[in-house]
Amino acid sequence: MINPMQLEGRVILVTGASSGIGRDTAILLSQMGARLVLVARDTYRLEETKSSLEGSDHIGISKDLCEVDDFSYWLKILAGDVGPFHGLVHCAGKVLTAPLRLSKDEDIDGLFHINIKAAILLVKAFRQRDVYAPGSSIVLLSSIGGLTGQPGLTLYSATKGALNAFCRSCAIEFARDGIRVNCVAPGHITTEMTDGLQKQLTTDQLATIERLHPLGIGHVRDVAMAVAFLLADTGRWITGTTLVVDGGYTAQ
Amino acid sequence: MRKAEFLALLALVIEAEPGSLKGEERLDSLEGWDSLAVVGFLALVDEKLGITPTPKDIAAANTVNDLVALFGDIIA
Repeated sequence: MINPMQLEGRVILVTGASSGIGRDTAILLSQMGARLVLVARDTYRLEETKSSLEGSDHIGISKDLCEVDDFSYWLKILAGDVGPFHGLVHCAGKVLTAPLRLSKDEDIDGLFHINIKAAILLVKAFRQRDVYAPGSSIVLLSSIGGLTGQPGLTLYSATKGALNAFCRSCAIEFARDGIRVNCVAPGHITTEMTDGLQKQLTTDQLATIERLHPLGIGHVRDVAMAVAFLLADTGRWITGTTLVVDGGYTAQ
Repeated sequence: MRKAEFLALLALVIEAEPGSLKGEERLDSLEGWDSLAVVGFLALVDEKLGITPTPKDIAAANTVNDLVALFGDIIA
């Protein structure tokens, strides 16, 4: 029996690993045999994620990606310690729900910093010689917000739309290096990050969101599976795409 | 926070003239008070006051003063 999704012997860096999609992706990838380097701000929750992983050779790094001075130097040193990376999953990100008229300059800067600038700098750092292994795969967590319009999510949507565009050009530029670059765009799923949004919505509004997802509200594992598919050999001929994982939301 | 500041905040959310809100206004009579304004209001009070009333609390409020009352002693 073959298992095209096994990740034995592969080293994968996961950001935003202490909660939600990042945490569940890390757990799934460890179950598929990968060795993981986890990055997140919250030391306690990072350790919790690490202790939930299968296998024992994983590394946790407590770091705020908005405060990294030199991504290229950081990843170079890291790759020197753990060997070249076979994958990068960028899950760290923020959501802001508010009408555009109430947004402030610092909201724009903050959201673009973590959702797009950190992603770009990470990908650039990953692309350095000796940092990535041949046949590497990069997966950036996007959102259906980057593909469809939603009131109150203008800034968030802008960052995710930018991420999708960045991914496409990166995929073409990095193809010659043997690095695949893809996005995964989830619909509405329940995570710590969307808890805040849910607190801002009425029962009726939440019911409407659920109704707009023909397969119902998703779970973190639904997204983690898509990420794993793109990282493993199952995604060998896929690059530059945004894989929509939304229970049918955008099919309507 | 003083009540006048709170009213100024609410006026910002619904794009009303600064100083135009007194408190007795019915929320359903305010032109800019819609679902998007509620989302913005919740984000703003969370940032300024560290408190997020539930959407159910907001839906139960009939007047601007009812909204003020949701924050208890925090608004003097």
